[in-house]
Amino acid sequence: MAWEVVLWVIFFTMNVALVASNLYQIVCLTDLEADYMNPYDSSSRINAVVIPEMVVHGVWSGLFLLGHWFLFLLTLPIMIYNTMLYSKRRHLIDVTEVFRSIDAEKKYRIVKLAFYLLLFVLVIIGLVISIVNNLIDDKDEVLHGYGIY
Amino acid sequence: MGTENPNRPNFHQGPTSTPFAAPQTNMPIGSSRPMVGSQLPAFRPTSAPAMPNSSPFSSPGPPAGSGTPRFRPMQPGRPAPSYGPPTTGPPQRFSAPQFPQTSQPPVSQTSNVGQPMLPPSMRPPPSTHVPSVPMGSPPQSLYTVSSSNNPPYSASGPNIQPPPSSTRPSYPGYPGMQSSTISPPPPPLYNQGGYALPQPAIPAPFSSHQGGYGQVPPVASYVGGSAPPTGVTPGLVEDFSSLSLGSAPGSYDGGLDAKALPRPLDGDVEPSSFAGMYPMNCDSRYLRLTTGAIPNSQSLVSRWHLPLGAVVSPLAEAPEGEEVPIVNFATMGIVRCRRCRTYVNPYVTFTDGGRKWRCNICALLNDVQNDYFSHLDATGKRVDLDQHPELTKGSVEFVAPAEYMVRPPMPPLYFFMIDVSISAVKSGMLEVMAQTIKSCLDKLPGSPRTQIGFITFDSTIHFYNMKSSLTQPQMMVISDLDDIFVPLPDDLLVNLSESRPVVEAFLDSLPSMFQDNVNVESAFGPALKAAFLVMSQLGGKLLIFQSTLPSLGVGRLKLRGDDLRVYGTDKEHTLRIPEDPFYKQMAADFTKFQVAVNVYAFSDKYTDIASLGTLAKYTGGQVYYYPSFHSVIHKDKLRHELARDLTRETAWEAVMRIRCGKGVRFTSYHGNFMLRSTDLLALPAVDCDKAYAMQFALEETLLTTQIVYFQVALLYTASCGERRIRVHTAAASVVADLGEMYRQADTGAVVSLLGRLAIEKSLSYKLEDARNAVQLKIVKALKEYRKLYSVQHRVGNRMIYPESLKYLPLYGLSLCKSTALRGGYADAQLDERCAAGFTMMALPVKKMLKLLYPSLLRVDEYLIKTPAVDDEFDKICKRLPLVAESLDSRGIYIFDDGFRFVVWFGRMLSPDITRNLVEEDPATDFSRNQVCLTERNNDMSRKLMGILKKLREADKSYYQLCHLVRQGEQPREGFFLLLNLVEDQVGGMSGYADWMLQIHRQVQQ
Repeated sequence: MAWEVVLWVIFFTMNVALVASNLYQIVCLTDLEADYMNPYDSSSRINAVVIPEMVVHGVWSGLFLLGHWFLFLLTLPIMIYNTMLYSKRRHLIDVTEVFRSIDAEKKYRIVKLAFYLLLFVLVIIGLVISIVNNLIDDKDEVLHGYGIY
Repeated sequence: MGTENPNRPNFHQGPTSTPFAAPQTNMPIGSSRPMVGSQLPAFRPTSAPAMPNSSPFSSPGPPAGSGTPRFRPMQPGRPAPSYGPPTTGPPQRFSAPQFPQTSQPPVSQTSNVGQPMLPPSMRPPPSTHVPSVPMGSPPQSLYTVSSSNNPPYSASGPNIQPPPSSTRPSYPGYPGMQSSTISPPPPPLYNQGGYALPQPAIPAPFSSHQGGYGQVPPVASYVGGSAPPTGVTPGLVEDFSSLSLGSAPGSYDGGLDAKALPRPLDGDVEPSSFAGMYPMNCDSRYLRLTTGAIPNSQSLVSRWHLPLGAVVSPLAEAPEGEEVPIVNFATMGIVRCRRCRTYVNPYVTFTDGGRKWRCNICALLNDVQNDYFSHLDATGKRVDLDQHPELTKGSVEFVAPAEYMVRPPMPPLYFFMIDVSISAVKSGMLEVMAQTIKSCLDKLPGSPRTQIGFITFDSTIHFYNMKSSLTQPQMMVISDLDDIFVPLPDDLLVNLSESRPVVEAFLDSLPSMFQDNVNVESAFGPALKAAFLVMSQLGGKLLIFQSTLPSLGVGRLKLRGDDLRVYGTDKEHTLRIPEDPFYKQMAADFTKFQVAVNVYAFSDKYTDIASLGTLAKYTGGQVYYYPSFHSVIHKDKLRHELARDLTRETAWEAVMRIRCGKGVRFTSYHGNFMLRSTDLLALPAVDCDKAYAMQFALEETLLTTQIVYFQVALLYTASCGERRIRVHTAAASVVADLGEMYRQADTGAVVSLLGRLAIEKSLSYKLEDARNAVQLKIVKALKEYRKLYSVQHRVGNRMIYPESLKYLPLYGLSLCKSTALRGGYADAQLDERCAAGFTMMALPVKKMLKLLYPSLLRVDEYLIKTPAVDDEFDKICKRLPLVAESLDSRGIYIFDDGFRFVVWFGRMLSPDITRNLVEEDPATDFSRNQVCLTERNNDMSRKLMGILKKLREADKSYYQLCHLVRQGEQPREGFFLLLNLVEDQVGGMSGYADWMLQIHRQVQQ
């Protein structure tokens, strides 16, 4: 069952990356609001991580398909939303109108951050369970924790 | 129906001269507002004791004025101006309510006024009333009342004395309103205030209505008193104007007398109260608030459904002699508040013997620097006040020291990016442009530092080396559009005075150089990048001349096609926003490097102004659009506007911020600029023809201050190379009363802001939504206003609105009919619509109103009269209502919307006149567009040209190209004139009368 642990570790790192990216974007927006940063820097920094974040999220969701369909379903809405944003070319921050949309953008990212933190908890639980299972694998005493997913 | 006609001069007490004196002296009291707060109580007592004797109020007046504690530092030279400048029209509006308020005893004494009385019975000899009724005589003759122009209340006391003169039906119920003894006053009372009838109709409605209202509810609930901004108190009882729908005589089926609808035929009327109350405020050409009364609570804001904000035109042209004074603090550094960075202004107060000053915006006590110190005189004013314009004037300009510069002040820089493809050559644009630029070289501001440069482009990009050592410019062609580089590091931008001969040689040869160019492509995007590379060192102004759709390289645009099917769907707005993010990105980069872009577009085909205009929008620039440019017709227009663009005083690398007192915060900004931080507008170039609008909101639920101050600061580099800060300061009182907000509303600013909001809305929603939003705002505002009064007044079927906003519905209608917002697919070409939108986003208030309600003048009588007297010109400048009925088929009319003239020839006009004015045979139709008005060798023609010249001189920011239209000549007439008669029913939009009915119906719902 070692691959299971590896998978959970991958989930975990990706989740951390997503949380970090969102935090970073929120910090950029807050800095912009407080005039610590100019709109050019702020939006170019945010825009630089938008696509990678979407890709990571996509891969992450895809990996959940390997046996964790419940988590996959949880992450699906955001993936769809991201695809929609991308297809409408609204995924990037518009530097000329950034102040008009700053509140909405911040709210969107805070909601996303909360979501990723929730997932983070679940992923940690999954990770711990898989490690424990891996450790006690020999004894064939599998903890039946998967049921929750 | 009608509106109150504030300035009707005939007070009935005409002959009595003394009474007239009274109101005059009274003015200071009169205009003081209850809201100003603390100072009021101080002076009320003075007037109260005077009341019982009911002597003419002149006696309490002056002492009250002078004895009142002023609210802010006043200059010694101004006698009691804080409550109203003596020079402005008497805003007696407040005088009225004050009396009852302050003089309860007299009121109760004279409670006879409050008695239930029917007009006929109530005819005591007026003289008997003199002692006891200072408020005004009882109604004497109901039928003679010229209702709406009740003389100022304060004047009424004295007026009683001349017995026969008091024809006013006056205000018996009035005291009752304050002492809350609700008595049924006589009917006319009611009619008179609101009944602002059209002059001819005055008596009739009175008689017709009076029976109907047996009793009038108390007016109460507000202290304000009414007033049109211009002066004479219209009605003491009803504080609003009204429009009767239904029973007005002479009305047609709609029940609405179309003649009596309010029309802004005098142009923009600025509310005088704003400047009147706070004489040290900056002039209204720089800053206009949508209402001069700031609401004190969130709940009040939510009931004021119109935008709450300001329109700022920081560099507006000042008339001779009123220039903004320049203050140089030299080594001292500019005096600013330590905490909120407010600039020192007339409203700061000096304390502690002159050693400290209190910031008026954040109330922080600042130290006065030693260099700035001055002793205070007995009244607490600095003794050297007269040497400090910054302490006496609302608008000043500070010379900024080095800490206000991030780099040495830039020189004025003009860079031209010129399309030389076949259409530009064919239309003659190239030639006119080259000539104009050449003729302006001497007048470019900032000589000898001015820099200049050119690139031209078709399918390739051509750079010009203009090094001063050359005799002829060297052309370098770059054809690799994917990887733009600048072939020469220097010498593409050169100092004009050094390279003058080369520049001239270039401009001379430019038209001939591309004479035979047959290239139809346009590498606009790459050329733009090249221009950016050249300019990014210094910034400056980039003038783009574009006559084809960008077709090569980055930023290429496609024929998006103005598709009929898209209209009415959710995708409609996408036609009006830039297609390619390249343009927004470029615009952002340009702003970052202090480049302002002005776009001149000339194509007869679709050029995607929506995309090109974005460049101007975010860089503080401007879009000039000449559809189907042809040099024969449009050359004067292009010449004038380009020359103005090049030679007007321009502020470079500017930033603007508006500060305001605690509790108020600016939330959104509208206009052509880019925000650099939440409240800092980046304006690479600003000039006198630009205005910016902004909205504010209350941060706290309740404002505790009495006055809110606004300060606009524009930090810029003047063309002479000096860094300067232009500061405009204004104060506005905080009120707790919605009626007061409406009373002090400024239609011009409201409309300007509404228009910008609507245009912005049209960029993300359907046109129809944008129009509905305008209508909804107006309806909501009027509904709220109606609610204010419907309780106390039987407003019945009348439409009521504040005097200050009487034109709002009309302007709202014309906004919906403006090129930017009108109709749908077929009503305006997409490019024209977008160009109009970009233009309107930058227009100052006055120009905006002119565009929305253009003037229509009849000139044939003036032309025919043989001796031309100059002052007669003013007489003919009587604007006519914009309805088709105004057009008499025997006349000649000039339609002027500030952007063009349409000269309309009636069908029955004598052919001689036409022959005198127009070269061709009178039978020619003008539709060939070739017929121009030129001065011909006869009186009439000279006179007409004289009129046009005068009209043009009155407004120089654009050139009004003259279009000739003959009556009945379709579709030309419809296109040029009939479509623009905003009061008529045109193309699916309702006419003025219908619109009013429509609004009225919605208000009543």
